[in-house]
Amino acid sequence: MSEQEQAVRSPVKPHGFSIDAWAVLLAFALAALVRVGVFKHIPW
Amino acid sequence: MASSMAISQVRPGNPALQFLKVVPGVLLLAAIGYAGKLLEANVGKYAKAHHWTFPNIEYVLWAILLGLMISNTVGVPEIFRAGVATYEFWLKAGIVLLGSRFLLGDVLKLGATSLALVGIEIAGAIAFMTFLGRAFGLKPKLTSLLAVGSAVCGVSAIIATQGAIEADDEDSSFAIAAILALGALSLFTFPLIGHTLHLTDHAYGVWSGLAVDNTAEAAAAGALYSDAAGKLAVLTKTTRNALIGFVVLAYAFYWASKGQAQAVGSKARFLWQKFPKFVLGFLLISTLATAAFFSKAQIGALANLSRWAFLLTFAGVGLRTNFKVLSKQGLKPFAVGAIGEVAIAGFTLGLVLAAQRIFGW
Repeated sequence: MSEQEQAVRSPVKPHGFSIDAWAVLLAFALAALVRVGVFKHIPW
Repeated sequence: MASSMAISQVRPGNPALQFLKVVPGVLLLAAIGYAGKLLEANVGKYAKAHHWTFPNIEYVLWAILLGLMISNTVGVPEIFRAGVATYEFWLKAGIVLLGSRFLLGDVLKLGATSLALVGIEIAGAIAFMTFLGRAFGLKPKLTSLLAVGSAVCGVSAIIATQGAIEADDEDSSFAIAAILALGALSLFTFPLIGHTLHLTDHAYGVWSGLAVDNTAEAAAAGALYSDAAGKLAVLTKTTRNALIGFVVLAYAFYWASKGQAQAVGSKARFLWQKFPKFVLGFLLISTLATAAFFSKAQIGALANLSRWAFLLTFAGVGLRTNFKVLSKQGLKPFAVGAIGEVAIAGFTLGLVLAAQRIFGW
Protein backbone atom coordinates (compact mmCIF):
# COMPACT_ATOMS: atom_id res chain seq x y z
CA MET A 1 0.00 0.00 0.00
CA SER A 2 1.45 3.35 -0.97
CA GLU A 3 2.01 6.11 1.51
CA GLN A 4 -0.57 8.19 -0.33
CA GLU A 5 -3.18 5.46 0.03
CA GLN A 6 -2.39 5.08 3.71
CA ALA A 7 -2.96 8.79 4.11
CA VAL A 8 -6.34 8.54 2.41
CA ARG A 9 -7.23 5.67 4.67
CA SER A 10 -6.71 7.48 7.94
CA PRO A 11 -8.09 10.95 7.50
CA VAL A 12 -7.39 13.19 10.45
CA LYS A 13 -9.80 16.05 10.86
CA PRO A 14 -7.72 19.01 11.93
CA HIS A 15 -9.46 20.97 14.66
CA GLY A 16 -12.68 18.98 14.31
CA PHE A 17 -13.44 20.10 10.74
CA SER A 18 -13.44 17.82 7.72
CA ILE A 19 -11.34 18.76 4.70
CA ASP A 20 -14.58 19.56 2.86
CA ALA A 21 -15.51 22.04 5.58
CA TRP A 22 -12.08 23.70 5.44
CA ALA A 23 -12.33 24.00 1.66
CA VAL A 24 -15.79 25.59 1.94
CA LEU A 25 -14.52 27.98 4.63
CA LEU A 26 -11.56 29.04 2.50
CA ALA A 27 -13.76 29.56 -0.55
CA PHE A 28 -16.22 31.69 1.43
CA ALA A 29 -13.43 33.70 3.04
CA LEU A 30 -12.02 34.46 -0.41
CA ALA A 31 -15.51 35.31 -1.73
CA ALA A 32 -16.00 37.69 1.22
CA LEU A 33 -12.67 39.39 0.53
CA VAL A 34 -13.64 39.85 -3.11
CA ARG A 35 -17.09 41.13 -2.09
CA VAL A 36 -15.73 43.79 0.30
CA GLY A 37 -13.15 44.90 -2.26
CA VAL A 38 -9.89 43.63 -0.70
CA PHE A 39 -9.27 41.70 -3.93
CA LYS A 40 -10.52 43.85 -6.79
CA HIS A 41 -8.96 42.01 -9.67
CA ILE A 42 -7.60 38.47 -9.81
CA PRO A 43 -5.42 38.01 -12.90
CA TRP A 44 -5.40 34.83 -14.93
CA MET B 1 -13.98 12.19 -5.73
CA ALA B 2 -10.97 11.21 -3.84
CA SER B 3 -10.98 11.77 -0.17
CA SER B 4 -8.57 14.35 0.97
CA MET B 5 -5.09 13.22 1.46
CA ALA B 6 -4.72 16.87 2.03
CA ILE B 7 -4.27 18.18 5.46
CA SER B 8 -5.07 14.63 6.53
CA GLN B 9 -1.44 13.65 6.20
CA VAL B 10 -0.50 16.11 8.88
CA ARG B 11 -0.98 14.83 12.39
CA PRO B 12 -2.86 17.02 14.82
CA GLY B 13 -0.62 19.19 16.91
CA ASN B 14 0.75 22.68 16.66
CA PRO B 15 -1.28 24.43 13.90
CA ALA B 16 1.74 26.55 12.91
CA LEU B 17 3.83 23.40 12.39
CA GLN B 18 1.03 21.79 10.39
CA PHE B 19 0.86 24.88 8.20
CA LEU B 20 4.64 24.95 7.69
CA LYS B 21 4.65 21.28 6.75
CA VAL B 22 2.31 21.79 3.78
CA VAL B 23 3.96 24.99 2.49
CA PRO B 24 6.77 23.37 0.38
CA GLY B 25 4.38 21.01 -1.41
CA VAL B 26 1.81 23.74 -2.07
CA LEU B 27 4.59 25.89 -3.54
CA LEU B 28 5.60 22.94 -5.73
CA LEU B 29 1.99 22.58 -6.95
CA ALA B 30 1.90 26.31 -7.71
CA ALA B 31 5.27 26.21 -9.50
CA ILE B 32 4.27 23.25 -11.68
CA GLY B 33 0.85 24.75 -12.44
CA TYR B 34 2.38 28.11 -13.33
CA ALA B 35 5.05 26.41 -15.46
CA GLY B 36 2.15 24.75 -17.31
CA LYS B 37 0.64 28.18 -17.98
CA LEU B 38 3.99 29.54 -19.21
CA LEU B 39 4.52 26.53 -21.46
CA GLU B 40 1.05 26.93 -22.95
CA ALA B 41 1.74 30.57 -23.72
CA ASN B 42 5.27 30.18 -25.05
CA VAL B 43 5.73 26.77 -26.68
CA GLY B 44 3.18 27.53 -29.42
CA LYS B 45 4.78 30.93 -30.09
CA TYR B 46 8.27 29.39 -30.22
CA ALA B 47 7.14 26.62 -32.57
CA LYS B 48 5.43 29.16 -34.85
CA ALA B 49 8.49 31.40 -34.90
CA HIS B 50 10.62 28.42 -35.99
CA HIS B 51 7.99 27.17 -38.48
CA TRP B 52 7.43 23.91 -36.59
CA THR B 53 4.15 22.04 -36.61
CA PHE B 54 3.26 21.63 -32.94
CA PRO B 55 -0.20 21.01 -31.45
CA ASN B 56 -1.60 23.63 -29.11
CA ILE B 57 -1.25 22.01 -25.67
CA GLU B 58 -3.28 23.61 -22.89
CA TYR B 59 -1.88 24.41 -19.45
CA VAL B 60 -3.99 21.62 -17.93
CA LEU B 61 -2.12 18.97 -19.90
CA TRP B 62 1.27 20.64 -19.37
CA ALA B 63 0.70 20.72 -15.60
CA ILE B 64 -0.35 17.06 -15.53
CA LEU B 65 2.57 16.00 -17.75
CA LEU B 66 5.12 17.90 -15.66
CA GLY B 67 3.72 16.30 -12.51
CA LEU B 68 3.79 12.84 -14.11
CA MET B 69 7.40 13.32 -15.21
CA ILE B 70 8.52 14.25 -11.70
CA SER B 71 6.52 11.53 -9.98
CA ASN B 72 7.69 8.78 -12.34
CA THR B 73 11.36 9.77 -12.58
CA VAL B 74 12.90 11.42 -9.53
CA GLY B 75 9.80 10.91 -7.37
CA VAL B 76 8.25 13.39 -4.95
CA PRO B 77 10.71 14.10 -2.08
CA GLU B 78 9.38 13.66 1.45
CA ILE B 79 9.43 17.39 2.22
CA PHE B 80 6.84 18.08 -0.51
CA ARG B 81 4.47 15.18 0.14
CA ALA B 82 2.17 16.73 2.76
CA GLY B 83 1.67 19.82 0.61
CA VAL B 84 1.22 17.88 -2.64
CA ALA B 85 -1.50 15.88 -0.88
CA THR B 86 -3.51 19.10 -0.48
CA TYR B 87 -4.54 18.98 -4.14
CA GLU B 88 -7.95 17.57 -3.19
CA PHE B 89 -8.44 20.47 -0.81
CA TRP B 90 -7.81 22.96 -3.65
CA LEU B 91 -10.14 20.98 -5.89
CA LYS B 92 -13.00 21.34 -3.44
CA ALA B 93 -12.33 25.03 -2.80
CA GLY B 94 -12.21 25.51 -6.59
CA ILE B 95 -15.55 23.75 -7.06
CA VAL B 96 -17.21 25.94 -4.40
CA LEU B 97 -15.85 29.09 -6.09
CA LEU B 98 -16.97 27.77 -9.49
CA GLY B 99 -20.52 27.99 -8.14
CA SER B 100 -20.35 31.75 -8.78
CA ARG B 101 -20.34 31.05 -12.53
CA PHE B 102 -23.64 29.19 -12.42
CA LEU B 103 -27.01 30.84 -11.88
CA LEU B 104 -29.11 28.73 -9.53
CA GLY B 105 -31.74 28.19 -12.24
CA ASP B 106 -29.07 26.75 -14.54
CA VAL B 107 -27.77 24.53 -11.74
CA LEU B 108 -31.27 23.19 -11.08
CA LYS B 109 -31.99 22.72 -14.79
CA LEU B 110 -28.63 21.14 -15.64
CA GLY B 111 -28.54 19.35 -12.31
CA ALA B 112 -31.96 17.78 -12.90
CA THR B 113 -30.86 16.49 -16.32
CA SER B 114 -27.55 15.34 -14.84
CA LEU B 115 -29.34 13.68 -11.94
CA ALA B 116 -31.45 11.59 -14.30
CA LEU B 117 -28.38 10.57 -16.31
CA VAL B 118 -26.36 9.94 -13.11
CA GLY B 119 -29.14 7.70 -11.75
CA ILE B 120 -29.08 5.57 -14.92
CA GLU B 121 -25.25 5.54 -14.92
CA ILE B 122 -25.01 4.42 -11.28
CA ALA B 123 -27.55 1.62 -11.70
CA GLY B 124 -25.93 0.41 -14.94
CA ALA B 125 -22.37 0.64 -13.60
CA ILE B 126 -23.12 -1.23 -10.37
CA ALA B 127 -24.99 -4.00 -12.20
CA PHE B 128 -22.24 -4.42 -14.81
CA MET B 129 -19.31 -4.28 -12.39
CA THR B 130 -21.02 -6.81 -10.08
CA PHE B 131 -21.53 -9.13 -13.05
CA LEU B 132 -17.88 -8.70 -14.15
CA GLY B 133 -16.52 -9.26 -10.63
CA ARG B 134 -18.46 -12.53 -10.38
CA ALA B 135 -17.41 -13.62 -13.87
CA PHE B 136 -13.73 -13.05 -12.99
CA GLY B 137 -14.09 -14.73 -9.60
CA LEU B 138 -13.12 -11.66 -7.56
CA LYS B 139 -13.89 -11.60 -3.83
CA PRO B 140 -17.45 -10.28 -3.29
CA LYS B 141 -16.37 -7.30 -1.16
CA LEU B 142 -13.66 -6.33 -3.65
CA THR B 143 -16.34 -6.48 -6.35
CA SER B 144 -18.54 -4.17 -4.23
CA LEU B 145 -15.68 -1.69 -3.83
CA LEU B 146 -14.90 -1.66 -7.56
CA ALA B 147 -18.61 -1.25 -8.36
CA VAL B 148 -18.97 1.73 -5.99
CA GLY B 149 -15.70 3.29 -7.15
CA SER B 150 -16.65 3.17 -10.79
CA ALA B 151 -20.32 4.03 -10.28
CA VAL B 152 -20.07 6.99 -7.91
CA CYS B 153 -16.92 8.85 -7.20
CA GLY B 154 -13.70 6.94 -7.18
CA VAL B 155 -11.43 6.86 -4.19
CA SER B 156 -13.70 8.60 -1.66
CA ALA B 157 -16.54 6.23 -2.41
CA ILE B 158 -14.22 3.25 -1.99
CA ILE B 159 -12.93 4.55 1.36
CA ALA B 160 -16.46 5.31 2.59
CA THR B 161 -17.72 1.90 1.50
CA GLN B 162 -14.74 0.03 2.95
CA GLY B 163 -15.62 1.35 6.40
CA ALA B 164 -19.33 0.65 5.98
CA ILE B 165 -19.03 -2.93 4.72
CA GLU B 166 -15.88 -3.83 6.69
CA ALA B 167 -13.85 -4.85 3.63
CA ASP B 168 -10.15 -5.77 3.88
CA ASP B 169 -7.49 -3.09 3.48
CA GLU B 170 -6.01 -5.15 0.66
CA ASP B 171 -9.32 -5.16 -1.26
CA SER B 172 -9.69 -1.40 -1.11
CA SER B 173 -6.03 -0.99 -2.03
CA PHE B 174 -6.64 -3.04 -5.22
CA ALA B 175 -9.81 -1.12 -6.01
CA ILE B 176 -8.15 2.29 -5.42
CA ALA B 177 -5.17 1.37 -7.62
CA ALA B 178 -7.45 0.23 -10.45
CA ILE B 179 -9.59 3.38 -10.26
CA LEU B 180 -6.56 5.72 -10.11
CA ALA B 181 -4.78 4.02 -13.03
CA LEU B 182 -7.90 4.13 -15.17
CA GLY B 183 -8.52 7.76 -14.21
CA ALA B 184 -5.02 8.66 -15.43
CA LEU B 185 -5.68 6.90 -18.74
CA SER B 186 -8.96 8.77 -19.19
CA LEU B 187 -7.08 12.09 -19.25
CA PHE B 188 -5.50 11.08 -22.53
CA THR B 189 -8.28 9.04 -24.13
CA PHE B 190 -11.40 11.12 -23.41
CA PRO B 191 -10.35 14.34 -25.20
CA LEU B 192 -9.21 12.25 -28.20
CA ILE B 193 -12.56 10.47 -28.40
CA GLY B 194 -14.45 13.74 -27.89
CA HIS B 195 -12.61 15.44 -30.74
CA THR B 196 -12.92 12.40 -33.01
CA LEU B 197 -16.69 12.33 -32.48
CA HIS B 198 -16.93 16.16 -32.70
CA LEU B 199 -18.84 16.30 -29.42
CA THR B 200 -20.14 19.70 -28.35
CA ASP B 201 -18.66 21.22 -25.19
CA HIS B 202 -21.92 20.49 -23.38
CA ALA B 203 -22.11 16.83 -24.41
CA TYR B 204 -18.42 16.21 -23.75
CA GLY B 205 -18.52 17.92 -20.34
CA VAL B 206 -21.52 15.87 -19.19
CA TRP B 207 -19.89 12.68 -20.51
CA SER B 208 -16.63 13.36 -18.60
CA GLY B 209 -18.58 14.05 -15.42
CA LEU B 210 -20.54 10.82 -15.85
CA ALA B 211 -17.77 8.46 -16.88
CA VAL B 212 -14.53 9.60 -15.20
CA ASP B 213 -14.45 8.39 -11.61
CA ASN B 214 -12.28 10.72 -9.54
CA THR B 215 -13.44 14.33 -9.32
CA ALA B 216 -9.95 15.71 -9.98
CA GLU B 217 -9.58 13.62 -13.15
CA ALA B 218 -13.14 14.43 -14.26
CA ALA B 219 -12.44 18.18 -13.88
CA ALA B 220 -9.11 17.80 -15.71
CA ALA B 221 -10.59 15.67 -18.53
CA GLY B 222 -13.30 18.33 -19.01
CA ALA B 223 -10.88 21.27 -18.89
CA LEU B 224 -8.59 19.54 -21.42
CA TYR B 225 -11.46 19.86 -23.94
CA SER B 226 -12.57 23.41 -23.21
CA ASP B 227 -13.40 25.78 -20.37
CA ALA B 228 -17.14 25.28 -20.90
CA ALA B 229 -16.74 21.50 -20.97
CA GLY B 230 -14.73 21.72 -17.73
CA LYS B 231 -17.57 23.61 -16.01
CA LEU B 232 -20.14 21.02 -17.06
CA ALA B 233 -17.88 18.11 -16.13
CA VAL B 234 -17.56 19.54 -12.60
CA LEU B 235 -21.32 20.13 -12.30
CA THR B 236 -22.19 16.61 -13.47
CA LYS B 237 -19.51 15.03 -11.28
CA THR B 238 -20.71 17.06 -8.29
CA THR B 239 -24.24 15.69 -8.88
CA ARG B 240 -22.73 12.19 -8.87
CA ASN B 241 -20.78 12.94 -5.68
CA ALA B 242 -23.96 14.11 -3.94
CA LEU B 243 -25.38 10.57 -4.25
CA ILE B 244 -22.45 8.86 -2.53
CA GLY B 245 -24.28 8.49 0.80
CA PHE B 246 -27.25 6.67 -0.71
CA VAL B 247 -25.10 4.14 -2.57
CA VAL B 248 -22.85 3.46 0.43
CA LEU B 249 -25.95 3.11 2.64
CA ALA B 250 -27.44 0.55 0.24
CA TYR B 251 -24.21 -1.48 0.32
CA ALA B 252 -24.01 -1.21 4.11
CA PHE B 253 -27.56 -2.63 4.37
CA TYR B 254 -26.75 -5.40 1.90
CA TRP B 255 -23.64 -6.60 3.75
CA ALA B 256 -25.29 -6.17 7.17
CA SER B 257 -28.20 -8.35 5.99
CA LYS B 258 -25.61 -11.05 5.21
CA GLY B 259 -24.18 -10.69 8.71
CA GLN B 260 -20.84 -9.47 7.32
CA ALA B 261 -21.02 -5.81 8.42
CA GLN B 262 -22.44 -3.88 11.35
CA ALA B 263 -26.06 -2.74 11.10
CA VAL B 264 -26.57 0.95 10.30
CA GLY B 265 -28.03 3.03 13.15
CA SER B 266 -29.54 6.36 12.19
CA LYS B 267 -29.97 6.53 8.40
CA ALA B 268 -30.17 10.33 8.41
CA ARG B 269 -26.92 10.66 10.37
CA PHE B 270 -25.23 8.10 8.10
CA LEU B 271 -26.29 10.06 4.98
CA TRP B 272 -25.14 13.38 6.46
CA GLN B 273 -21.75 11.90 7.43
CA LYS B 274 -21.17 10.62 3.89
CA PHE B 275 -22.58 13.68 2.09
CA PRO B 276 -19.81 15.80 0.50
CA LYS B 277 -20.23 19.19 2.19
CA PHE B 278 -18.54 21.14 -0.60
CA VAL B 279 -21.65 20.48 -2.72
CA LEU B 280 -23.57 22.71 -0.26
CA GLY B 281 -20.88 25.39 -0.56
CA PHE B 282 -21.18 25.25 -4.36
CA LEU B 283 -24.98 25.67 -4.16
CA LEU B 284 -24.70 28.54 -1.64
CA ILE B 285 -22.23 30.51 -3.78
CA SER B 286 -24.43 29.89 -6.81
CA THR B 287 -27.44 31.20 -4.85
CA LEU B 288 -25.51 34.34 -3.86
CA ALA B 289 -24.45 34.92 -7.48
CA THR B 290 -28.06 34.48 -8.62
CA ALA B 291 -29.21 37.03 -6.02
CA ALA B 292 -26.72 39.56 -7.52
CA PHE B 293 -24.72 39.58 -4.28
CA PHE B 294 -21.57 39.85 -6.44
CA SER B 295 -20.99 42.34 -9.25
CA LYS B 296 -19.96 41.12 -12.70
CA ALA B 297 -16.33 42.06 -12.02
CA GLN B 298 -16.43 40.22 -8.68
CA ILE B 299 -17.81 37.09 -10.36
CA GLY B 300 -14.91 37.34 -12.82
CA ALA B 301 -12.48 37.53 -9.89
CA LEU B 302 -14.08 34.50 -8.18
CA ALA B 303 -13.95 32.56 -11.45
CA ASN B 304 -10.23 33.29 -11.73
CA LEU B 305 -9.65 32.23 -8.12
CA SER B 306 -11.41 28.98 -9.00
CA ARG B 307 -9.06 28.54 -12.00
CA TRP B 308 -6.00 29.02 -9.77
CA ALA B 309 -7.34 26.43 -7.33
CA PHE B 310 -7.88 23.98 -10.20
CA LEU B 311 -4.37 24.69 -11.47
CA LEU B 312 -2.95 23.38 -8.18
CA THR B 313 -5.25 20.36 -8.46
CA PHE B 314 -4.09 19.46 -11.97
CA ALA B 315 -0.44 19.64 -10.91
CA GLY B 316 -1.32 17.34 -7.99
CA VAL B 317 -3.06 14.82 -10.28
CA GLY B 318 0.23 14.34 -12.16
CA LEU B 319 2.39 14.31 -9.04
CA ARG B 320 0.39 11.68 -7.19
CA THR B 321 0.23 9.26 -10.16
CA ASN B 322 3.05 6.75 -9.98
CA PHE B 323 2.65 4.03 -12.58
CA LYS B 324 5.17 1.72 -10.90
CA VAL B 325 3.22 1.70 -7.63
CA LEU B 326 -0.08 1.22 -9.48
CA SER B 327 1.26 -1.66 -11.57
CA LYS B 328 2.15 -3.64 -8.41
CA GLN B 329 -1.47 -3.98 -7.35
CA GLY B 330 -2.45 -7.06 -9.33
CA LEU B 331 -3.81 -7.74 -12.79
CA LYS B 332 -7.28 -9.17 -12.12
CA PRO B 333 -8.85 -6.15 -10.34
CA PHE B 334 -7.25 -3.91 -12.96
CA ALA B 335 -8.67 -6.06 -15.78
CA VAL B 336 -12.16 -5.97 -14.23
CA GLY B 337 -11.85 -2.22 -13.69
CA ALA B 338 -10.59 -1.63 -17.23
CA ILE B 339 -13.29 -3.71 -18.92
CA GLY B 340 -15.92 -2.12 -16.69
CA GLU B 341 -14.67 1.42 -17.32
CA VAL B 342 -14.61 0.93 -21.09
CA ALA B 343 -18.17 -0.43 -20.96
CA ILE B 344 -19.33 2.42 -18.68
CA ALA B 345 -17.65 5.00 -20.93
CA GLY B 346 -19.44 3.51 -23.95
CA PHE B 347 -22.75 3.29 -22.10
CA THR B 348 -22.60 6.87 -20.80
CA LEU B 349 -21.52 8.14 -24.22
CA GLY B 350 -24.68 6.56 -25.65
CA LEU B 351 -26.74 8.21 -22.88
CA VAL B 352 -25.17 11.60 -23.59
CA LEU B 353 -25.70 11.32 -27.34
CA ALA B 354 -29.35 10.43 -26.74
CA ALA B 355 -29.74 13.36 -24.32
CA GLN B 356 -28.02 15.65 -26.83
CA ARG B 357 -30.63 14.72 -29.40
CA ILE B 358 -33.52 15.19 -26.95
CA PHE B 359 -32.34 18.43 -25.30
CA GLY B 360 -30.54 19.92 -28.31
CA TRP B 361 -27.21 20.47 -26.49
